[in-house]
Amino acid sequence: MKQILLITDGCSNVGLSPVVAAAQALSDGITVNVVGVLDGGDLGEYGAKEIQEIAHAGGGMSRMASTRQLSQTVQMMTRKTVVQTIQQVVQKELKSVLGGEGAIEELPPEKRSEVVRVMDELGETSKLRVALLIDASASMKPKMAAVEEAIRDLMLSLQSRQGISELSVFHFPGNGHGDDASLDLDWTTNLSGVQSLFPKLQMRGTTPTGPALLQVIEHYRGRDDRRRGGEEDGMMSGYVV
Amino acid sequence: MVITGKWRRRRYRVERMLGEGANGKVYLVERDRRLLALKVGADTVDLQSEINVLQALEGRAGSRAEPFLHDVDDLKLAGGKEYPFYVMKYVRGTKLPAFLAARGAEWFPIAGYNLLQRLAELHESGWAFGDLKMDNILAAEYGHVELVDYGGVTAFGKSIRQFTEIYDRGYWNAGTRASDAAYDLFSFGVLCVQLFQEKALYRHTAGTLPQNRSPQELLKLASESPELRPFAGWLERAFAGGFRNAEDAGAAWSVVMRRIGTGGGPKKRTGAVPGWTKALFLLSSGALAAVLYWLLLGQG
Ligand SMILES: Nc1ncnc2c1ncn2[C@@H]1O[C@H](COP(=O)(O)OP(=O)(O)O)[C@@H](O)[C@H]1O
Ligand SMILES: [Mg+2]
Repeated sequence: MKQILLITDGCSNVGLSPVVAAAQALSDGITVNVVGVLDGGDLGEYGAKEIQEIAHAGGGMSRMASTRQLSQTVQMMTRKTVVQTIQQVVQKELKSVLGGEGAIEELPPEKRSEVVRVMDELGETSKLRVALLIDASASMKPKMAAVEEAIRDLMLSLQSRQGISELSVFHFPGNGHGDDASLDLDWTTNLSGVQSLFPKLQMRGTTPTGPALLQVIEHYRGRDDRRRGGEEDGMMSGYVV
Repeated sequence: MVITGKWRRRRYRVERMLGEGANGKVYLVERDRRLLALKVGADTVDLQSEINVLQALEGRAGSRAEPFLHDVDDLKLAGGKEYPFYVMKYVRGTKLPAFLAARGAEWFPIAGYNLLQRLAELHESGWAFGDLKMDNILAAEYGHVELVDYGGVTAFGKSIRQFTEIYDRGYWNAGTRASDAAYDLFSFGVLCVQLFQEKALYRHTAGTLPQNRSPQELLKLASESPELRPFAGWLERAFAGGFRNAEDAGAAWSVVMRRIGTGGGPKKRTGAVPGWTKALFLLSSGALAAVLYWLLLGQG
């Protein structure tokens, strides 16, 4: 299972539309979730609409959260998305076996039990990768401590799973001039050795959300290529409910 | 209002709402002149995995004498929208703070002991309760305690399915979110602190940087409460993951209870044991055999 979690507090303002980039992620099998962090202010009508559309195009969900609720929100979204991803696969299976919509609600309660047991098991044991994409534009500066805390908290939850869970972190705009995003931390299963996630961050003005998303998708692809394209982690390929 | 199950057609008359949480609403209902609790879920999959836990608990050997789970079905609203529900035993009681406010803090040790016993029953079957918090505990007459909301119950070794920040071991930088008995005992410890130091606890969580949250801070709050002071050693062990399971923890808890003389636990206050009970106890060992022998001979 692959997820991108975008944490932002405003609108994109350069490059490709992030909604288009999110749609591309989804067709690569990556679900995109978005958290709009607001403290006091708000994202504005346009910003709120954008994060909704990004999540919609990326097959994920969007939430607004204050810095105080950030850890909890991130944790909850990641978990819910795991459940939903599995639900979609199971739904397809049910549809081909039983016809109809394949919705679990169509089954009588006594039949649901076994299906949900299998779903819970998959949710706990499937391989999971989450790439965090952090908006580091100037307005995010006072929120970065909360963001780092939320990332560490997410790692703790992921580490408690039985399945392998990896996390990577990007921020945007990138460090170099014209870089859309920079990789802060490559795929890892552990953060305990990492002193600071964003040691010398220069918070700059533009918000290239779309191009940054593309870069994360590329990073996912690079990883998959390195594994010689074979042995796709397709979490339950061949699984029959 | 009457709820009729879509699949099994059982009818329940709704009396009133009992409570509401993040996953559903619970109503007091009546069927065949029996009061039951009916939980309507927001999400079918979430509710079903909770039901699966209840069924697994029901099925284990030597489990509860009376069934907890009574029915599982869906309900259909007039508008056509459907919701999953299950029906369970109606647990009478109030939340612990209200219970202690009404009966007095002297009921705290025994209520705590009883809560540890409820946890021990789960631990014995290889489950942690997970989301142990004030809302999910109901206390009644004589410090009787029951757990409600099995949505967080997690088999040992898996990641805790549902938790609430302030009771979470990970939140206090004191360990993982993988299910084990110690996870519940940590939450139990936070619960104790919350019972007697609620304001200080909230002030602390609001004003402390995440990396500075630690069990030591919880212990400091506990040491400022006269009710918790006798349990300081116990709490320290619970926060350090020093108990094997809730049974272990319960035994240590009852040692404290005896020391401070609140009775309860497996042994009663000696002063409260009437003379005839002692006589009966003496009789039961050896003496009983003699009495029986005498009776039988007498009959013969
Ligand atoms: N069996 C029951 N008997 C009496 N009250 C109950 C019962 N189950 C739940 N409640 C009440 O309803 C509230 C919400 O139920 P709960 O199962 O905790 O929902 P959620 O999973 O959404 O948190 C509980 O806090 C409790 O007060
Ligand atoms: Mg609850």
